[in-house]
Amino acid sequence: MGSDVNLTCRLCGHKHRPIRLAPGERALCARCSTVMATEGRFGPEAALVFSITGLILALPAALLPFVIAGKLGDERVCRLFTGVGALWDNGMRTLAVLVFLCGALLPVALLGAMAVLHVPACLKWHTVNIPSLPRIVHILEHWAFPEVQVLAVLIALIKLGGLVDLTVGPGFWCYCAMAVSLVLAQRSFNSELCDPAPVPCRTDAAP
Amino acid sequence: MNLRFSPVRFKSNSTAAALAVAAAVMLVPANLLPVLSTETSGYNRSDTIFSGTVELWRQGLWVIATIVFTASICIPLFKLAGLGWLLLSVRHGCPHDSRRLTRTFAVVDFVGRWSMLDVFLAAFLTGLVQFGEFSSVQARSGIVAFAAAVVLTVLATHAFDPRVLWPTPAKVSPNTSRP
Ligand SMILES: [Zn+2]
Repeated sequence: MGSDVNLTCRLCGHKHRPIRLAPGERALCARCSTVMATEGRFGPEAALVFSITGLILALPAALLPFVIAGKLGDERVCRLFTGVGALWDNGMRTLAVLVFLCGALLPVALLGAMAVLHVPACLKWHTVNIPSLPRIVHILEHWAFPEVQVLAVLIALIKLGGLVDLTVGPGFWCYCAMAVSLVLAQRSFNSELCDPAPVPCRTDAAP
Repeated sequence: MNLRFSPVRFKSNSTAAALAVAAAVMLVPANLLPVLSTETSGYNRSDTIFSGTVELWRQGLWVIATIVFTASICIPLFKLAGLGWLLLSVRHGCPHDSRRLTRTFAVVDFVGRWSMLDVFLAAFLTGLVQFGEFSSVQARSGIVAFAAAVVLTVLATHAFDPRVLWPTPAKVSPNTSRP
């Protein structure tokens, strides 16, 4: 089922009359062609399903080995937070915190925030009015970089291929799946849920 | 994902300019100081971002070298050049090509995150390769400066308000929808 949206373009500020979006459709700004809203292809529950899947995958991603490296009989198990710990021990504490936030905490927080936004709508509960939550989701989106961390690990594996013996652990695959779940949840995200205090569609504002 | 908000608060183009200048300043030590040092069987080597990329190229890892070069050198410079162009266009009165400038801002906003690649790479290598004198990798001060530059460019992009690129006040239009 489609939804009515009443939109202001985030890039140029242009206001638009309401439009009913069908599943898979996007609303584009008439002035700058920016995509302003999307209606998920898989229905309103998809974002919630992908968010919860990502949250579940985050636990094994954090606990299970990412990569096991061996050299001359010595073996080293690397987990999600091993790099953060190494930077911390090196005295680069601010950098360790940044890597921890962008690679682990904020992606999980983003999944959690999207789940919280979708649960009431999907389960037909009364909408929980948390005015700051949409803004928090927007900020988290700009600082959660799990896909960049996935690429960094893949590059590291290729780079180290000739230097040490490497075995990719289940933690890394869970982390990859979590990153994919996050992207799918973002793509299925229903923008209508992001208005903390939905206003009536302003058809009277048309020129 | 696209979100709807009340008018954006905390946006200031002078703040964006200050953050962009700070990011440009941080890029100097980020590119001059070593970001990683590697010890393999007693042989020590320190690499800056550029020399690390050249080394990857020399090893025949051309695709990886291109990705790292793009993420760590091209994207930060492109972001700063893009932000500079946007800020100068706003400063010199009504921008004549608002549509193109808005698209530039959207691209600058989108690509910024990929600059974090080198930071994650340094963190992962530092955590993984710790085999004492046989082989070890340590992050160096250059990566801190580089991370600071990346964070400052992201903050500068957030601080920039792209609505000032449009000369006329917003009117109400019908949308165009596309599958
Ligand atoms: Zn627009």
